[in-house]
Amino acid sequence: MENFLRIIKLGYKNFVRNRGLTLGATLLMTQTLMMVSVALIVTLLIRDTVETFRSKIDVAVFFRDDAVTDAKIQDLISRIKTDSNVKSIEFYDKNKALAIFGGLALDESIKKPISQDNNPLPRSVQIKTSNPEQLQAFADNLKTSDTDNIICDSCIHLNKDFVSSFTQVTKSIQQAAIALSIFFGIIAIFNVLNIIQITINARRDEIEIMRYVGASNAFVRGPFIVEGILYGIFSAILTTIFLYFAPMLVTNRPDMQDIFGKFGVNIVSYIPEHLVLLICVQLIIGIVIGASVSIFSVRKFLKA
Amino acid sequence: MNEVLQIGSPLPKSAEKPKKTEAIIEFKEAGKSYGHTWALKDATLVINDGEFVSVVGQSGAGKTTLVKLLVCQERPSHGSVFVAGRNLADLKDKELPYYRRKIGVVFQDFKLLPQKTVYENIAFALEVCGVTNVEIKRRADKVIDLVNLGRRIKNYPDELSGGERQRAAIARALIHSPRILIADEPTGNLDPVNTFEIIELLNRINQRGTTILLSTHNRQIVDRINRRVILMKGGKVVSDQQTGKYVI
Repeated sequence: MENFLRIIKLGYKNFVRNRGLTLGATLLMTQTLMMVSVALIVTLLIRDTVETFRSKIDVAVFFRDDAVTDAKIQDLISRIKTDSNVKSIEFYDKNKALAIFGGLALDESIKKPISQDNNPLPRSVQIKTSNPEQLQAFADNLKTSDTDNIICDSCIHLNKDFVSSFTQVTKSIQQAAIALSIFFGIIAIFNVLNIIQITINARRDEIEIMRYVGASNAFVRGPFIVEGILYGIFSAILTTIFLYFAPMLVTNRPDMQDIFGKFGVNIVSYIPEHLVLLICVQLIIGIVIGASVSIFSVRKFLKA
Repeated sequence: MNEVLQIGSPLPKSAEKPKKTEAIIEFKEAGKSYGHTWALKDATLVINDGEFVSVVGQSGAGKTTLVKLLVCQERPSHGSVFVAGRNLADLKDKELPYYRRKIGVVFQDFKLLPQKTVYENIAFALEVCGVTNVEIKRRADKVIDLVNLGRRIKNYPDELSGGERQRAAIARALIHSPRILIADEPTGNLDPVNTFEIIELLNRINQRGTTILLSTHNRQIVDRINRRVILMKGGKVVSDQQTGKYVI
């Protein structure tokens, strides 16, 4: 135990003593963590945004006005509900349709002719499925199950084209973000490796002395691992501070607020909501990189 | 501190300790080559427990290679080196620290850690081995007293004279109570007064039973020690005199 504490003390002293190198290594490690964190945040953001859009994918079914009773519609709804793929189903009668129409931002000349007494708006149901990719098959199935012919021709609207292309675009952005982060992350890891090697090279005499006086390899390696872990911890703290405050600066601009608002994402609250996850990921990655780079760098001095 | 020796005067008779017959260091046709260059070739010699042996020769004679083989900084290209009956070639990497704790090594450039005080430098040799603080204090006080650095324990190396630095290095080498003390050009950076102080200190350590292997090219000190001298030239042992002088 005394030995373990000595190793920690030595590592901490080295960390504090070599300020220039410590700062350099910590900042480079921060850069690495920033890359990883940005990739993680982009992935999470895109996942949530895509999920939001996916939840909006639905099929709207409009019913013929003539000679179709509400009972028949309810009968069809009951049958649709039995499909396990159906997540939710909402019926819009003529009054509801009118209310929605009234709320649309349309010219009065278009709105005026349509009233309670003269309401050509059809009754409809909006169906959301648990698997939007199967929407087309679901719609086809719906059409064939319409034995009473109550659905008007060409009255099944699949609200999915925009969402599909949006999903495709966001997935591409996500992949590009991850690829870039990996690329820059690798460069940053090499930089960290180099600066830690410089740090260790500067102390080769100390390593040599430790070995001459009979220090075990574990004891020689220990303080450098502690130092590497400290780089990781401090980098994680710096990255977290940056990630916490940077979005506030960006989203203080009203235009940026609009952009994020449209995607249903509050970027300022998003990071605090995921703070624990981010800190954990950064700490783990920082500590693993710091410790493994130190072990790698010190190994050549530990050969007989 | 014991009596101060006059420079050039022979070592006192009391320094002549009866030699033990047990071989503690043994080179058997040991050689070390770097590429096509032989730094040490077919070295065969035996050093008994408790001896004070000076290894002399010009630069490049193979003295430092001999020391490197003894501290396992290098492995022989051929032949074998035995210390206390153990073939060093059989030592596994993980056994090296334990082996090095049994030998003390002193270098020309002292190899003290500049950011540590004299006491910390000396204690460090035990700290790295996991010795308790109480035990470290007890043993450090003893060796500090032996090298007479009691008043300098809180000083940093760059606040010490060359002789004091070397005494601190010797204290650190002795803190493990090693059976062998290897001194590689320990007086190379010292003025004559400090040189003879260090030699006197090594002599006293030898009197306590520690085998001393002194590598040097300083003729004056070898002649004055008047003990066994091994002369090396071109990587070979060319003469071995039981009580000799530095003769080229």
